[in-house]
Amino acid sequence: MKTSATELELAIQMDEAARVAHQLRLKRDRQDRNGRILKHIFLIIVSCVMLYPLFWLLASSFKPENEIFGSLTLWPSEFQFENYTKGWYALPISFTVFYVNSAIVTGLSVIGNLVSCSFAAYAFARLNFNGRSFFFALMMMTLMIPYHVVLIPQYVQFLNLGWVDTYLPLVVPRFLASDAFFIFLMVQFFRQLPRELDEAAMIDGCSPFKIYWAIILPLSLPAMGTAAIFSLIWVWEDFLAPLIYLNDIKSYTVPLALRLFLDQEGQSAYGQMFAMSVLSLVPVVIFFVLFQKLIVRGIATSGMK
Amino acid sequence: MKRFFARNAPAYVFLLPWLIGFFLLALGPILASLYLSFTRYDMVSAPRWIGWGNYEYMFTRDRRFWKALEVTFTYVALAVPARLIMALGVAMLLDKGLRTIGLYRAIFYLPSLLGASIAIAILWRQLFAADGVVNQVLAMVGIQGASWITDPDTSLYTLVVLAMWQFGSPMLIFLAGLRGIPRDLYEAAEIDGTPGWRQFTRITLPLLAPVIFFNLVLQTIDSFKTFSSAFIISNGTGAPADSLLFYTVYLFNEAFKFFRMGYASALAWFLLVIIATFTAIAFFTSKYWVHYENERD
Amino acid sequence: MTKLTRRALLGTMGATAAAAALPAMPAFAADRTIRHYWWGNPERDKRTFAVIDTFQKKNVGIAVSGETIGWGDYWTKMATQTAGRNMADLVQMDYRFLFEYVNRGALKPLDEFVGKSLMIADFDKGPLDGGKVDGKLYALNIGSNSQVMVHNTRAFQEAGIDADLINWTWDDFAKACEKITAKSGGKMKGSDDLSLMIETFESWVRQNGREFYSPDGKVTATAGDVTSWWQMWADLRKAGVVRDKNKTVILDPPIAESGIAVGDTAMSHYWSNQLVGIQAVAKDKIGAAMVPHKAGGKPGQFIKPSMFLSLSRDAKDTAAAIAYMNAWVNDPEITGILGLERGIPCSPKIRAALAPKLTEVEKLSVDYFTAIQSKVGPLPVPAPKGAGEVRDAFMRIGTDVVLGKVEVAKAASTFIEDAQAIIERAQ
Repeated sequence: MKTSATELELAIQMDEAARVAHQLRLKRDRQDRNGRILKHIFLIIVSCVMLYPLFWLLASSFKPENEIFGSLTLWPSEFQFENYTKGWYALPISFTVFYVNSAIVTGLSVIGNLVSCSFAAYAFARLNFNGRSFFFALMMMTLMIPYHVVLIPQYVQFLNLGWVDTYLPLVVPRFLASDAFFIFLMVQFFRQLPRELDEAAMIDGCSPFKIYWAIILPLSLPAMGTAAIFSLIWVWEDFLAPLIYLNDIKSYTVPLALRLFLDQEGQSAYGQMFAMSVLSLVPVVIFFVLFQKLIVRGIATSGMK
Repeated sequence: MKRFFARNAPAYVFLLPWLIGFFLLALGPILASLYLSFTRYDMVSAPRWIGWGNYEYMFTRDRRFWKALEVTFTYVALAVPARLIMALGVAMLLDKGLRTIGLYRAIFYLPSLLGASIAIAILWRQLFAADGVVNQVLAMVGIQGASWITDPDTSLYTLVVLAMWQFGSPMLIFLAGLRGIPRDLYEAAEIDGTPGWRQFTRITLPLLAPVIFFNLVLQTIDSFKTFSSAFIISNGTGAPADSLLFYTVYLFNEAFKFFRMGYASALAWFLLVIIATFTAIAFFTSKYWVHYENERD
Repeated sequence: MTKLTRRALLGTMGATAAAAALPAMPAFAADRTIRHYWWGNPERDKRTFAVIDTFQKKNVGIAVSGETIGWGDYWTKMATQTAGRNMADLVQMDYRFLFEYVNRGALKPLDEFVGKSLMIADFDKGPLDGGKVDGKLYALNIGSNSQVMVHNTRAFQEAGIDADLINWTWDDFAKACEKITAKSGGKMKGSDDLSLMIETFESWVRQNGREFYSPDGKVTATAGDVTSWWQMWADLRKAGVVRDKNKTVILDPPIAESGIAVGDTAMSHYWSNQLVGIQAVAKDKIGAAMVPHKAGGKPGQFIKPSMFLSLSRDAKDTAAAIAYMNAWVNDPEITGILGLERGIPCSPKIRAALAPKLTEVEKLSVDYFTAIQSKVGPLPVPAPKGAGEVRDAFMRIGTDVVLGKVEVAKAASTFIEDAQAIIERAQ
């Protein structure tokens, strides 16, 4: 009997233990769920704060001109859809042309940035060569100098090349890795990849280009995706260089066209300008949504190591 | 010689586009601006050599130069940490296990898309006006707010808020970095019962160090060069009462509004020295806290 | 391929794909090309491009390339092009910047063309002389304007203000502000606070019998002028009859943010060619009043050119450029397209031709212009280099005064000292 009593006790104890374990698990699940809900609530509140300005912009794009400044309420008293329809044709050239122009400049620039900057970054991050730190320092320096003081010498330079009033000053530098930001970004990511990869590939007889193409790039998709997104957004929104280098209104890009709506001293068309600003965000948002998948997909590949 | 060539050739081939760009397109204008910093140059007549005159004036007689430095340094000291902490915090929240992450990521990036547009300038003036939305919210909790954006004592902070609110780019970079950390490290830590905050200090921070370093350096450089937001919100003047007189806004006005490109170039080169010093310090100290996979030996 | 389809193709492709690699080509082949650069807005751009079309049709063989951007970016691009010696042949000029560009040698005088290819003999002499620097004509007036106190006619009527708005004084002005504020229960203040408007302050100085700058380019306004100006507004602020100080310190706000557009105030200070733009955003009907006079003082307000057309130093085909310039101010079809958009033309013939077709607001500005002719003083001498910076200093130091952070008299003497230093450094 004694044994059975002990067995019983043991059974009870085990049962108890299982129950406690179960409760603990339940509690943890509950905590997890609570934690997730809390996290969502927090993120939703933050989202509202983050989105307020966009709502404001959207609302303003439907408002009559004198309501944009006069009223603090978000909701327009009457919806002026004509801000969109009229805005598209408000300038001497229709926005269709500006969009095509922007697409050309941006498309070429993004390709140029990704190719040339990843080349340079690969050299800086994965290859040993004489003068590496020297050139790296020079590259960093180009990031630091305020753009406005090189504007005029640069303008003179492109003028002498006969490039002013073409897209060449906007596009060619990007194929020559002019934006050190992306080089530095890629360098930081490339350096994180394990060295054994290159060493093994080298032993297998892979050329440096093969290593760059078949190993480094595929493993750096999150970085390349990030660079592509930034590059697209920044070029799409770039204003100063198109302002300086484009003269003919037929060649204007979207941000430049947006500046034609405003006249500090005279008649402005804020409603139409906001409407066109909202539309100008659309391609960027679409691109963002498409390319952020690339960042996500990166997990699978880089998790592999 | 042959070995030297074999060792260097591949790297220089990859570097070629950058080398061409740097030496043929970038270097000339940079050197030209250095030369101009020693001249008096109104952009219409030819530059006139005046030696150290611009630099001398800057340090000895220009009160607004010192004001611009003060504004810029205050901004850098506040905006860089605020923005980075914001970006890293949100990136970590988003990194782990939420199915809707894509949506949030897009939402959090949207403010950065608006950049420093005219819309933002108008909106910011309305938000932080005496009767603006910010004060209406504050009034609900019984705080009577100031006229933030027009008061020289507080206007700079509205730009720090703007910087915090546009944390999209560093957030994306952090996210890309977090994606690069192998999941199994966390799983192993989970099995060992390592608490969350220690996973953060033992796994996340060290492995994210290169990316943190990148963001720190880049944000510092960018903040020193902050131009568009301050320029647009202050209607190009640094108003109210020079409280938004960022260094580059001052520089721009000296160059393009007051026709002193020579002086502006001198200002630019001094800023370059400041930024380079900070970056050099960052690179030097990075040896102690940033470790790269391929340089572990 | 037929001619038509080729042209259609060019129309759609030429602007976009071809422009990617090639310099922008004019729409059709022309032996001579001139560039015209102006700051604008959608309305002005439309009119100007229509002018270009008309001119090209009438002058086959001359192509005009129209280049435009908003005011805020105009001067940055202009400075860059000037530095690169690549200015457009014809540039739009502003009174504020004219002397900066002339004094540095960026513009060519027009005197040699006057009476030969540029016919301006019958134009009003006063407004025309506004484009002269050191006796040479550097800029052709393409519209005149003057300062105006834009007011809300409904608010004025409701408050029962019967002052003569052409001849009124600062006392009348203060009383009007009180009445309007009282009538609306403080919801609508009498006027925008003009503490930081150096343009109105300049009139104030002239009413005191001085000029802001002397002919040899020295600051002649006194600390006393500044003190009395800022003190007057401080009193009005204290009485609560002008716009909130936090709105006042927003510098150079767009028209749509002004008190009269938003409905905060019944009066704002503007230039007469801006009346159309203001009416477009104001809820009530606007009227035009003169800047109040000083009782027993001198005339302060003046008529000045609102915009100029100038021939740049880099112009090559000056004959074509002058032909275009001449058409701008003389061709009835072209001046008909332009209307009053850039200001009141200084050719009496053109004004008469435009008169029957004016809109209500345009008529307001013309009538106002006629009414003030005998009440204004002479055009001030051209401002010296550095005047733009003095303007900034005035607004900067004035901001502290408006916010009550510094004593009026002290700020005034600081401003005068700073202004003198700025002018001295700029020479």
